[in-house]
Parts: sequence; C-alpha cells; structure tokens
Amino acid sequence: MPGRIRLRQALKPYAYFIPALLVAYLFSYRPFLKTLANSVSLVNYSGRILEFVGLENYRGLFADKNFQTSLINTFRFTALFVPIDVVFCLVCALLVYRKRRFNALNETLFILPMAVAMTSAAIAFRALFNPTIGVINHLLGIQIQWFNDPAWAMTTIVVLSVWMALGFDFLLLLAALRSVPRQLVESAQLEGAGRGSIFLRIQLPLISPTLLFIVTTRIRDGMLLSGPVLVMTEGGPFRSTQTLIYQMYIEGFKSGNYSMGSAISVVVFVLTFTMILLAFRIERKGVFYQ
Amino acid sequence: MMNRRFAFDTAKLIVATVIGLVVVFPLYYIFAGAFYKIGEFTAYPPTLFPDSFQLGNFIRALRDTLLIRFMGNSLLVASVGSVLRMTIAVLCAFPMAFLRFKGKNLLFFLVLGTMMLPSDALIIENYLTISRLGLVDTYFAIISIYLLAPVQMFMLRQAFKTIPQTYREAAAIDGCGDFRFLTLIVLPMAKPIVLTLTLQSFVTIWNTYLWPLLVTNDPAMRTVQVGITMLGFAESLDYGPTFAAIALILLPSLSIFLIFRKKIVEGIAAGAIVG
Repeated sequence: MPGRIRLRQALKPYAYFIPALLVAYLFSYRPFLKTLANSVSLVNYSGRILEFVGLENYRGLFADKNFQTSLINTFRFTALFVPIDVVFCLVCALLVYRKRRFNALNETLFILPMAVAMTSAAIAFRALFNPTIGVINHLLGIQIQWFNDPAWAMTTIVVLSVWMALGFDFLLLLAALRSVPRQLVESAQLEGAGRGSIFLRIQLPLISPTLLFIVTTRIRDGMLLSGPVLVMTEGGPFRSTQTLIYQMYIEGFKSGNYSMGSAISVVVFVLTFTMILLAFRIERKGVFYQ
Repeated sequence: MMNRRFAFDTAKLIVATVIGLVVVFPLYYIFAGAFYKIGEFTAYPPTLFPDSFQLGNFIRALRDTLLIRFMGNSLLVASVGSVLRMTIAVLCAFPMAFLRFKGKNLLFFLVLGTMMLPSDALIIENYLTISRLGLVDTYFAIISIYLLAPVQMFMLRQAFKTIPQTYREAAAIDGCGDFRFLTLIVLPMAKPIVLTLTLQSFVTIWNTYLWPLLVTNDPAMRTVQVGITMLGFAESLDYGPTFAAIALILLPSLSIFLIFRKKIVEGIAAGAIVG
C-alpha cells in the first residue's frame, strides 16, 4: 500500500503535463513530421501518402517559376518591412519617450492601431489605396495604380504591415528607451556630448536587446506573411504580392496539391529557423546587455 | 541654450503630432466612412467628412449580414479559448516552478520547442487532422491550434518562481495538497500576470484569420475576422455597410483596449524581457 501511494506521488508531477503534451503532439509535432513526410512523397487528395518520391517535390518546386516568384516576394517584403518598421518605430519612440505634456496623447495615437484586427485594417487600406476614389492618391496628389501595378502593390502590403506592427514595436522601444539610466545620459550631456552621439553611444547599445527581439520576430512574421495578401491583393497583380505561405495555401487548398504545399512548408521552416539562428549569432557579437 | 532646447522640444512635438494624426487617419476614415452614402465614396475629390450621420449603413450591416452571429462566435471562441490556453499553460508552469522530478528539462523543452514550429506553416496537416476527426465547422476546431502557448508558459514559470518555496512547505504542513496550493495560493499571488496573459491570448484568438477561414465553411460558424471579408455587398465600391460593420466590431475592441491599456502595455513590456 505505501508503495502504491509513493508511486502515485512520483507520477503526479507528470500528470500536469498531459494536456500540453497532447496538444503539442496533435497540433505541432505530429503535423510537423507528417509535413516532412509529405514533402518527400506523392500524396493524394485526401492527404494519404501514396509513394516515396525522394527529393522530386523539391526539385519540381525550385524549378517552378511560380515558387521562385513567391520566394523572391517573401524576401522582398521582409527586406522592406523590417527596416522600415524598426526605423519608423524607433523615431516615434525617440519623439515621445520623455514624459512631457502632449507626449502621452501622441503615445496613445501611436498605439491605437493595435486595437484594429488585420482584416478590418486590410479592408480600410484597400479603400484608402483605391487608385480612383482612394484618399491616399488624392491627398498626396499622385496617380499610382496601387493594385494594378506590380511595382507598387507590395508597397500597400508593407504600409499596412508597418501600420499594424507600430503599436507593439513602438511600445517595446519606448519601454527600452525609458529604462536607460538618466544619470548616464545626463553625465554625457555635462561632458558636452551632442544628441547624436548620446543616441549612438549610449541609448542605441542599451536598447539593442529589444531591437534584436523586434528584428527577429518581424523577420519571422515576414517569412510567414499571408493574411494581408489574402485580404488585400490575393497575390496579384501578376503574382507580384504572392508569398510562400500564400502559395502554400493555394497549392494545398485550392489545387489539392498537398505534396507541393508541404514542400513549401518545409522551405518556410528552414528559412525561419535559419533567420532566428542568424539573429542569435548577431546577438553574441553585437548586442550589449546591461 | 534653454531657448534652443525649447525649440527642439516643440519641433519634436509637432513632428510627433503629425505622425500621430497620420497613424490614426485610417481609424478616423473607418468611422467617417460608416456614415457615407455610396455617392460620397465615389465622389471626387474624396469625401473626408460625412454629409450626415445617417444610420443606413449600420442598419444594412446588421440586417443583411450575420455580423452579430460572427461577433458572438468570436467572443465565445476567444474567451473559452483563452481560458483553456491559460489553464494548460498554468498546469505546465506550476510543476516547472515548484516540483522536483526526473525529466523536467525534457518536458520543458518539449513544450517550449513547439515555438520553433510556426502554426501558419502547419495548416495543411492540421486541417487534415481536424477534417479526419470530423471537426470542421466546430468551435473546437477554431481554438485547437491555439491551445498551447509556449511563450506564456515560460513567462508564468518565471512569475511562479518568484514565489518562495517555503510557502509550499508551509501549505503542505497544513495538509494542503499541490493542486490546492496552486489554486488557492499560487494563482491569487500571480493574478496580475495571469490576467495580462489571458488578455493577450484573447486578443490573439480574436484576431486570427487564416486558420478559422480554413476550418469553417458554414457562414454561421465564421468568426468576425473571416466574416467581415465575406459580407457580400454586391456593389464593390459601396464600402458603407462594410465600414459600418468594421466600426461596430471596432467599438468593443477599442473600448477594451483603452480600458485595459495599462495591462496591455505591461504585458508587452514583460514579453520583451523574455525575448
């Protein structure tokens, strides 16, 4: 009897993990392994594996013009979105981080977009960017065919994404800037340091962990971009906004091509993973912790 | 010197205000547009302020679509989903912080490891799982992939660790078991972080789009985010009813956002520390 009680006591800690492990298995690890398996197999319409085909799907994928477009577009989006987002949010944070009158008001204005869900925002921006009746062309006095011109369509997605990311990233940078010790900045000022050098030599190094966090999560978001594309441009015009996850969705659900869809998933996994590893390498070299 | 500083601050304030107004403009446009008649949308130059506060668009949005149903669905899915998500995370975080047992690190990394597998890239297989289980068009399907929150589990563990072990020993002497210790002592003590994380989960599930789009076919099962893109007003330039619908969705989320602003800000700052 005491032995059984002791056994029950010993097993108790593990019981707490049962729900989490069940979910992790069902909706993370199992689908991951099956995606890997699908990507090297021929899969039928109901998702059953018919035969092993080795790297055939990947060969097909990388030879596919369509996929190359998705890959380039995904990188193009990320290369535009991440730097613009970081610089813009940093500028906003630098403008209001000192507690002064009216700054609190502007702070609220900057974070309000957070309350708007992506689909609502995408519909609103579609109207704002409308080439003929849209407010943006009118107010800027320009005549850009935002959704008909392959050169400009991605810009609309970038603008929407930066607008949606602003609240969160701005708040992170604001908190980071405010945690920089005042004495450091003040003593630098006494020694005659200008604003530029205070920013570059004191503030920037001290907020670098936050910057790295933002860059990493936003690169990941960039690699996974699909929602705004689905709602605003449907990948067009001429596939100029078609991204990897968008193509995976089309291959998987519109064309029923699970093998191709899974191969694209694996490419996305590899890309996100590499980007995160890269960020950690940069962290070891360039990021300064207090 | 003082003057230059004042000028600099004023310049900063002006730039910040201009940016702030530009940032809020789309929000303003949604609410203004909710009152536009179709002619005001197609007018040139574009209308920036509604002619009248007519409620026709709101009536059409409420009468001709399932908007209320969509909002109910989202509310249900987000509240039940976020509570389940927090429960699962708390159950993991508790033994991680308080109990000693073999394989603790392995279990920790098994749960945290799911972070490396973004759910957007798993949707094909997850969809097949849901459809094989016959769960398409169910509320469970919509929340299923959000039940595990590795980052939040990690943050809860960190919060629980700040509670001294001696509390648990004292509770044990008084005959309080582990589970009761968790519900009666740990959770009340960690209430702020638990609330913040639940709120975050609520927002995450409320805002999700791609996954509910896939697992719902029946219009009556759609969430707000999916439903709003499929309102089906025939005239493509007649944004009015759509904008009215968006405005109606925005009202509750904007008010919640402004009420819980401090909590949300705290949560984000706490998240940054983990990152």
